[in-house]
Amino acid sequence: MVGAFEFAPAIALLPLAAFVVALVFGNGMPKKGAYAGILATAGSLLLSLWMLATVAGGEVYNEPLYDWAIGDEITFHFGILIDPLSALMLVIVSLVALLVHIFSLGYMNAEGETGLPRYYAELGLFTFSMLAFVLADNLLMAFMFFELVGLCSYLLIGFWFRTRSAPSAAKKAFLVTRFGDYFFLIGVVAIGATFGTLTFAGDASFVNEAQSAIDAGETFHGFGAETWVTILGLLVLGGVIGKSAQFPLHTWLPDAMEGPTTVSALIHAATMVAAGVYLVARMFGFYALSPTALAIIAFVGGFTALFAATMGVVKDDIKQVLAYSTISQYGYMMLGLGVGGYVAGVFHLMNHAFFKALLFLGAGAVIILMHHEQDMWKMGGLKDKAPVTYYTFLAGALALAGIVPFSGFWSKDEILYDAIILGLEEPIFLVAYSMGLLAVFFTGFYTFRMVFLTFHGKPRSEAARDPHPVGMNVKIPLIVLGVLALLAGVVNLAPVGKIAGMDIMFLEYWLDGQYTEGMTGLTYSEYSDTAGLDTTYIAGSQTITLLIAGALALGLALAGAIVAHVLYNVPEPVPHTENLGAAREVLRSNYYQDEVQVWIAQGLAMPTARMADRFDQSVIDGVVNGVSSVSLFGSGGMKRLQTGVVTNYAALIVLGFIALVVGLGVYGGWFV
Amino acid sequence: MMIEALIAVALVGALVTFVAPNRIAGKLAFVISLVPVAISLWMFAVFDGSGNALLDGTLAFESQMEWIQLGDYAITWFVGIDGISLPLVVLTTILVSLAIMSSWTPIDMRESQFYGLVLFIEANLIGVFVALDFFLWFIFWEAVLIPMYLLIGIWGGPRRKYAAIKFFVYTNVASLVMFGSFIALVFALGDGVSSFALPEITAAMLNGGPESFAGIGSGTLTSLVFVAMFLGFAVKVPVVPFHTWLPDAHVEAPTPASVLLAGVLLKMGTYALLRFNFTMFPDQVSQFVVPIAAIAVISVIYGAMLALAQTDLKRIVAYSSVSSMGYVILGLVAYTQFGIGGATFQMVSHGLISGLMFMAVGVIYNATHTRMVTDMSGMADKMPIAVGVLIAGAFGYMGLPLMSGFAAEYFIFFGAFGSEASTYMPLFTGLAMFGIVIVAGYLLFAMQRTLFGPFRLETDYEIRRAPLHDIAPMFVLLGLIIALGVAPELIFEMITDAVDPIVDLAEFGGDA
Repeated sequence: MVGAFEFAPAIALLPLAAFVVALVFGNGMPKKGAYAGILATAGSLLLSLWMLATVAGGEVYNEPLYDWAIGDEITFHFGILIDPLSALMLVIVSLVALLVHIFSLGYMNAEGETGLPRYYAELGLFTFSMLAFVLADNLLMAFMFFELVGLCSYLLIGFWFRTRSAPSAAKKAFLVTRFGDYFFLIGVVAIGATFGTLTFAGDASFVNEAQSAIDAGETFHGFGAETWVTILGLLVLGGVIGKSAQFPLHTWLPDAMEGPTTVSALIHAATMVAAGVYLVARMFGFYALSPTALAIIAFVGGFTALFAATMGVVKDDIKQVLAYSTISQYGYMMLGLGVGGYVAGVFHLMNHAFFKALLFLGAGAVIILMHHEQDMWKMGGLKDKAPVTYYTFLAGALALAGIVPFSGFWSKDEILYDAIILGLEEPIFLVAYSMGLLAVFFTGFYTFRMVFLTFHGKPRSEAARDPHPVGMNVKIPLIVLGVLALLAGVVNLAPVGKIAGMDIMFLEYWLDGQYTEGMTGLTYSEYSDTAGLDTTYIAGSQTITLLIAGALALGLALAGAIVAHVLYNVPEPVPHTENLGAAREVLRSNYYQDEVQVWIAQGLAMPTARMADRFDQSVIDGVVNGVSSVSLFGSGGMKRLQTGVVTNYAALIVLGFIALVVGLGVYGGWFV
Repeated sequence: MMIEALIAVALVGALVTFVAPNRIAGKLAFVISLVPVAISLWMFAVFDGSGNALLDGTLAFESQMEWIQLGDYAITWFVGIDGISLPLVVLTTILVSLAIMSSWTPIDMRESQFYGLVLFIEANLIGVFVALDFFLWFIFWEAVLIPMYLLIGIWGGPRRKYAAIKFFVYTNVASLVMFGSFIALVFALGDGVSSFALPEITAAMLNGGPESFAGIGSGTLTSLVFVAMFLGFAVKVPVVPFHTWLPDAHVEAPTPASVLLAGVLLKMGTYALLRFNFTMFPDQVSQFVVPIAAIAVISVIYGAMLALAQTDLKRIVAYSSVSSMGYVILGLVAYTQFGIGGATFQMVSHGLISGLMFMAVGVIYNATHTRMVTDMSGMADKMPIAVGVLIAGAFGYMGLPLMSGFAAEYFIFFGAFGSEASTYMPLFTGLAMFGIVIVAGYLLFAMQRTLFGPFRLETDYEIRRAPLHDIAPMFVLLGLIIALGVAPELIFEMITDAVDPIVDLAEFGGDA
């Protein structure tokens, strides 16, 4: 079956072809290039499924394909790594990309947008970059496509470039993530320079090299090997924090909602933002070598989960709620990975990709219904007028809030379970766990506040009374994702499996390489062995711990939902945020995070730059001009020799000749 | 004899263009300039050199004949090409052709003289990159200045006289320092050398170096010459604090002159640093690693900060060149395969990208007659294709992967981080890399204000879409930038082949 993998590059190249086609010919094509994108992503999806089936059939693929730059000690190449993790991610990305392309027919084309070829071209370029990122077999290639998805994000956030806000948001998104990528690039350079390889897997991977360096007790740049691995891991983590919108580099994501909602669904919820978390999972063997790095990941994640969830509580714009919820959910994934829950983190990544894409597309449908209104206070009562949108949105909301049996419950529960059993052994992790747990309440609250305000109660505006109908190209993606939001959890019903003793944790077996032959270095059990994290159960019983952890999480989620129900599921809801008092202002201002970053840009960087410019103009250039005016003054004196009187010149020539002769004479010894 | 043909075509072309009627001068010069392009591409295709030109490498298209016997020293017509010079020659021929085409719109007076001078510059630029005799090289080196002085002084902006004289005097004084110290060095080498052929001088330098001369000890003399030559070339590059002529020259220069100035003339400085300082003086490099690396970092960061403060698009690109050249210095001082190789790659890459940026700014200027960020917004609506290319170029400048700038910067960063030239190299590299954040800051900020948002223009001009001959050169450059980004080996293979002998000269660089 090696044959299948020979088609792997096409997974990424098909959308690249769609990019070129849409860019060059889009204007003359029906639907302005949409079909090219749909065909390409459908092709990618089919190929990805084929890869998934091939991996399930027991094969993994790890091959360099193209030497990018050849050096004596290291050659940088492009290559493909298809293992259970990347095969799964390929399917997620290509599926969501296909659905978003289809949805775009209803969201963008039907609304008479201009610039559609540009839209579809950029969407194609994004899909290409994202899939290539997932396929990457080495860290440099991953970095390169990590940057390219950032470019596409910039272009698509700024799609409506004639406004003032979209270009500003686009700039912010690129700049903030660039700041994270600065550290990432240092990490790439340093890992390459330290270990002489950047490949993720195989015998010569940098993970193996790091392992042997630690075993051999080597030192690098004055640091012990383990400390150095921690430093390298944290440098790469800079890029992850930027791209996956973790604290403190999360501020760009809410602004990124300036882009079309389809873009938010694809890029800023399901895929690109996931790139950071995926990268941590991709090189989990490396992070497993450093308990410190893992702990930092867990704390960043736990804190972000809670921090973002609290801000989601007071937002009025439906997309803003979803944006903060996205930040918060990626926090959960980081928490999961940081406490060693590799399977839990990847599981939540998958579930979240489906249900958050669903919620964003659902919000897109609502925006069509509402004639481009995004303020939830102007909605209400859409439940009966748009049942497909409502029920699919509800499925997504239940998954997001983590209500059993929807997919989000299973993965979030597993993350919190992994956190608590580690925390019981090492109490410091209980702090990260409790932040994650507390966030569950807020998540339940803001999710259902959003559902009730949007769909329940009485219509609160003309648009809500007379919504614009949506077509099948909108409904089909919603239904597909709605089913997934409900059912995707069955791939890893960990608590059920563990309590009932059934072998139904398919995702765990999948990521552990139990379906593939001879996969080494990339399996869940190897990661766990490397990390060597000890765990403790409540009362020494796994079952009791599972039940308590699950009950706590579900109870808090329900509590949040019930509070939302009491406050907002009424015919004419009113904002209750006044009751929050001073906290309301802090939350609405997003803890003044943006102010800090704006200050760094405008209050610190710009004045420093202007100061440097003044210094340059006055001091450095002043010296240059000063030197030249001295010589000008000098030459002014010389100029007076040039009188224009021939006799003066004759006298000078004669005098000069005599001086020359005398000089030569002295030198030549004539007078001795 | 292909090199002679290359230079001769440009020189004769310059003369022909000079006497041609103004009306056809632009087209004529363009057609003539295609001949060197064709020759240099043919050279690229059949290139069979190996090793380094100064270090016993096999030269391609070598040609040597006696010229002048000056006392004990022979001056020869000695030209040849290795893996470092060939990419720069190709860059020069291509950029000149494209610069000529991009001049058709803005240059509307004394055309035959303008295009004649451009071809004259081309001949001398090629000469700088192929000459292997010091005197010959110096003649080309100096002869580049005169036509550039005239291009800025005659066809430039309002303060063209000031800028042209500043450019000429500053770089000329620097050349004088360099020339004097190098001649002193050659004399000090004594019987070891009998000509000004650079390979011979290099060999003598590496086999013991100079004797004491004029009362100065051998070691001191070598260090003095190294520093003097470094300073001489530093003005040309330019590195901070010798950079202030550059923004003035760029702002006043007409677009095509800016393209050549940033695209090729600055590379003369880094090329000379590589050929002289970093090939002939490996021991001195190892002594001065920390100050040179510090200068590189300062150039990168300070240049970028200055760019951030500008509101004139051309000044932004000009200062960013200071920043980009800082990377080249960092790569050179790393003294590793990827460091020096990356620095050479960056010379080519920056030539293409800065050329593209100046052209794009020029196209906007042609339409709006302003370059001030504050004077316009929403240009994307009016000139979609030109703006699209400008955005692509800007991302190239920011080091977007799969474009040549990323390859160049990555090679340099990798080579510098892994360098053992100093224990502080990883720190210097990390600091210099912050340039990639600042460059994104000032370019994105400028783009947001000028290209996006609602359309607004303070000057009173009707915006027309740029004609094809303004756009086409930018697409050619963009294509080359992407080609080198996707397949850096197109030139990196020959570059490393010529760079390896340099790296082998000293142990201190390491393996990166």
